[in-house]
Amino acid sequence: MSHVQSQILPLNLKPYPLIHNSRILGVYSNNKARTFSFNLTCKLNTVKGGKTIKEKSGSVPGNDGAPPIVEMEEGSRGNDGKKVEKLKNSGVGFGLLKKFPRKVLGILSNLPLAIAEMFAVAALMALGTFIDQGEAPDYYFQKFPEDHPPLGFFTWRWVLTLGFDHMFSSPVFLGTLALLGASLVACTYTTQIPLVKVARRWSFLQSADIIRKQEYADTLPRASVKDLGVILMGAGYEVFSKGPALYAFKGLAGRFAPIGVHLSLLLVMSGGTLSAVGSFRGAVTVPQGLSFVAGDVLAPFGFLSTPSDAFSTEIRVNRFTMDYYDSGEVAQYHTDLSLFDLNGKEVMRKTISVNDPLRYGGITIYQTDWSISALQVLKDGEGPFNLAMAPLQMNGGDKKLFGTFLPVGDDNSPNVKGISMLARDLQSIILYDKEGKFAGVRRPNSKLPIEIDGTKIVIEDAIGSSGLDLKTDPGVPIVYAGFGALMLTTCISYLSHTQLWALQDGTSVVVGGKTNRAKGEFPGTINRLLDQVPELVESSSPKET
Amino acid sequence: MIFSTLEHILTHISFSIVSIVITIYLMTLLVHKTIRLHDSSEKGMIATFFCITGLLVTRWIYSEHFPLSDLYESLIFLSWGFSIIHMVPKIWNHKNNLSAITAPSTIFTQGFATSGLLTEMHQSTILVPALQSQWLMMHVSMMILSYAALLCGSLLSVSLLVITFRKSLGVFGKNNHSLIGLFSFDFDEIQYVNKRSNALLNNSLVSFRNYHRYQLIQQLDRWSYRVISLGFIFLTVGILSGAVWANEAWGSYWNWDPKETWAFITWTIFAIYLHIRTNQNFQSTNSAIVASMGFLIIWVCYFGVNLLGIGLHSYGSFTLAS
Repeated sequence: MSHVQSQILPLNLKPYPLIHNSRILGVYSNNKARTFSFNLTCKLNTVKGGKTIKEKSGSVPGNDGAPPIVEMEEGSRGNDGKKVEKLKNSGVGFGLLKKFPRKVLGILSNLPLAIAEMFAVAALMALGTFIDQGEAPDYYFQKFPEDHPPLGFFTWRWVLTLGFDHMFSSPVFLGTLALLGASLVACTYTTQIPLVKVARRWSFLQSADIIRKQEYADTLPRASVKDLGVILMGAGYEVFSKGPALYAFKGLAGRFAPIGVHLSLLLVMSGGTLSAVGSFRGAVTVPQGLSFVAGDVLAPFGFLSTPSDAFSTEIRVNRFTMDYYDSGEVAQYHTDLSLFDLNGKEVMRKTISVNDPLRYGGITIYQTDWSISALQVLKDGEGPFNLAMAPLQMNGGDKKLFGTFLPVGDDNSPNVKGISMLARDLQSIILYDKEGKFAGVRRPNSKLPIEIDGTKIVIEDAIGSSGLDLKTDPGVPIVYAGFGALMLTTCISYLSHTQLWALQDGTSVVVGGKTNRAKGEFPGTINRLLDQVPELVESSSPKET
Repeated sequence: MIFSTLEHILTHISFSIVSIVITIYLMTLLVHKTIRLHDSSEKGMIATFFCITGLLVTRWIYSEHFPLSDLYESLIFLSWGFSIIHMVPKIWNHKNNLSAITAPSTIFTQGFATSGLLTEMHQSTILVPALQSQWLMMHVSMMILSYAALLCGSLLSVSLLVITFRKSLGVFGKNNHSLIGLFSFDFDEIQYVNKRSNALLNNSLVSFRNYHRYQLIQQLDRWSYRVISLGFIFLTVGILSGAVWANEAWGSYWNWDPKETWAFITWTIFAIYLHIRTNQNFQSTNSAIVASMGFLIIWVCYFGVNLLGIGLHSYGSFTLAS
């Protein structure tokens, strides 16, 4: 008995309730946490009846009887939801073992498993950025050779068998994601929804001892629980009182929001799945003035892709222009598009640019690329001739270069010579003479002729082509809904669910409380609130001695 | 011209003020806590905040777009984020150990941004077409703020780990501290926290020694949780706004671009951290280990991907000058 007392005593010296220290100890080593839990056990027993103490303390080392009580203690001081959840989980584990779906649910909602899945997803994604994606098999044969593979074992067989050359659509990755999604569902169903039921129940605590055992506890001498109620209400708490007891809470939304986070994640996942199986994509480069039919460009992306009426729309590129900064760099690309229905009636017209796509009937048209298709040139006043421009290979750099060639003299001679014209953009054309020497620069539309080797050349116009991306994506509305919900619920999740209990104990008020997130700020905030509670100068309480 | 001069002046003022603040911090640590000095360091941080704000505003007016188009600007913004995180708890008068993390972080990012390593990047550049969108402001500022908050939070966790680690090893000589401090700047800050805890411990009784340490660890734990949750919100909003933007500019809300992927990895790691926190059976060291992993992953996401210069997010890339 005295042995037990001596162990409990130093703890009672500390201002904070026991729970604090047991958690702190838990940080360090299991060993200490154990001894401490054991103290708690003893104390519990002391309350029940002192005679069993010796027996219990003797049997504690290596005893399995102690942990359940410890867990109970944890449950009662942590949140009530956890306790219920634990009981429920154990029920799933033992009682309904034969019911397969329940068992699967129980396994899936297991937190360590979910964490392992998240780690797996993260690791696979990281691997996906380290291995170059979407290359030909030969590339992987060279990069991951069998004789001396990276890490000693990672040969191309691994890469190709597991589909890591296209990681983000590989069965391994998608399977892990699906498993994670299943865990999300299971966790929401078995853990989070029961938690709502528990959290909504509000309860008064009728014993000052229990209130003092909360994470935060304080006693206000000469105060009234009613004053406290008013002050708490002023601070935005929901306050309930019954006789001498008071219960107040704040930020309940913060406890429910994680459910919303999970649900909106599921929404995003299902939207993403729909995008993957039900969309069409296509890219086309159209010279200015030409047109195409949307359905010819769009190719189905997944097995659920079904074309819509809008696919018969004819799209014409009226004009392609580029804006430039003063320094000559490209500022923006614009394409003037007209949409025609089957009857040839214009149904829409819009100038699109990067960051400003066109949307019509579920089809979205993006400005993504450009090139120069032709130069209109007058040669000695004849023409205009359309000279097709070809993209030239540049070694390094993402700047584009286009070139064309105007033959001069006898076209049928074996080594035909002529004037070369190069262009980086639609702004200026650089001309070179027959020998390849720089001859001059002309702007299209300037009408300024240039004479090279006796040939007078006027560059009438440079005709650009617009690179357009087309897509239909039925998943986007769902994904966006999920995004919106996710942003909102994540923000709400930051709120801390605070619960306070108070009890009028004679002239003093015992206050205890706990919070689930803002534990650091909590004592300070509550202390400031309690400081506002007026001190009663004269008391007429009959209980006072 | 006047803008670039102003910018130059502001950069140097903010950098020197942060250096002075750090010196004051160290002095208050080594000598006894002098309230006056401590106050002046607080004022210094506020001055730094205004200098960096001025710097960003100058750049904004000068370049006529939101100053977050390249790595240099994002670094300045990061140190601005650190100084905000430093100041916000001060407004509510919360006592915490955050300043031990934020002040050195500010100086290191500020120092790195203004150092000779990236001098060519100081010139503000033009915006490529893909960046000309209202989303730039929301997406990038949210991402950088989330980096700042997550870095702070995970540094708190790292310091928690170090203190815990020291404890389990028993008595750890002071000499080792300086050794750790030399390894990298992260540890420099931890060393600072350690010293602070030592200062706390020195004049207390042996029986209270552990209690104070526990309290310190608990505080670190709680604050890192709080700051990381905040950063997580920013990260979520940042990634999602980026996805919406990508759907406007690139034609798909998710492209598995390396930067995107790494941002998602970061998100996953900190989601793991938050989940570990929900379970009371896991010890706080476990979550701290995950947060420290997150610390490294943020750097990979922020710098690593840009260093490789791959993918669609190549705006912030830079080449190391030889």
